[in-house]
Amino acid sequence: MNTRLLMTLRVTVATPQSIGAVPHGTRRTVPIAGGDFEGPRLRGSVLPGASADWLLLRADGVLELDLRATLRTDDGGLIAMRSFGLRHGPPDVIEALARGEAVDPAAYYFRTTPRFETAHPAYAFLNHLIAVASGDRRNEGPIYTIHELL
Amino acid sequence: MNARPLMRLRLTVAATEEIGLTPRGHLTIFPITGGSFEGERLRGIVLGGADWVTAAADGTFELDLRLTLETDDGALIHMTFAGMRDDANHYFRTLPRFETAVPKYSFLNRLLAVGIGDRRREGPVHTIEEIL
Repeated sequence: MNTRLLMTLRVTVATPQSIGAVPHGTRRTVPIAGGDFEGPRLRGSVLPGASADWLLLRADGVLELDLRATLRTDDGGLIAMRSFGLRHGPPDVIEALARGEAVDPAAYYFRTTPRFETAHPAYAFLNHLIAVASGDRRNEGPIYTIHELL
Repeated sequence: MNARPLMRLRLTVAATEEIGLTPRGHLTIFPITGGSFEGERLRGIVLGGADWVTAAADGTFELDLRLTLETDDGALIHMTFAGMRDDANHYFRTLPRFETAVPKYSFLNRLLAVGIGDRRREGPVHTIEEIL
């Protein structure tokens, strides 16, 4: 698998909304209050209005992530980002994360697959790429290192 | 990013069903009549499925595939992928996901994967790697 760095995306999260037990698991929605992204070809900020991560904890202990975010580049391009992901790990590690402790991201699996849509010509390359990301879950919000699949 | 081989998936496709121009683009459905898959941890045959392929105005194709796989020891695996094919740039990449109820293969429920597609005369071949 050949990849190259697309961006590092840091989001800050607001107070989660615990939806609770639903037919497919336990649902929690985490609004995104803001953030920023930076890479060799693009950089900018995360718009808070329509950005959130819809989380579903499945019966097998795997957390499904369904993130949507609007990115604004430093030259004014708007990018709609959607990303499906999975997070899981040993029970003691997941419990430490839940307590808000700092945990080495290598201790758990946190991977996502972002897709991008934009109408801005300078960033049209984003429309045509498949990307993979590794996540580092922090208290203030996750940090995603996103690589383009070459 | 680190990855390790999961399987090579070979598909046989039947005559396409041309839905035509829809609000989202030109939709073509590729029925999948069979095929096989093989990797270190699993192997078997393709029971069937289809790939819904939408041509965008910029000449690229969005793929939306659903399949049922059957391992050589009888487990059924539900497989889907979203993908992007950009022939002008020889880019054909997919994001496969798997669901199974069989404990031996439950590792598939917990992984994300990427696929590199290759269009061959006899049908597409996807080389799929697990994202580590």
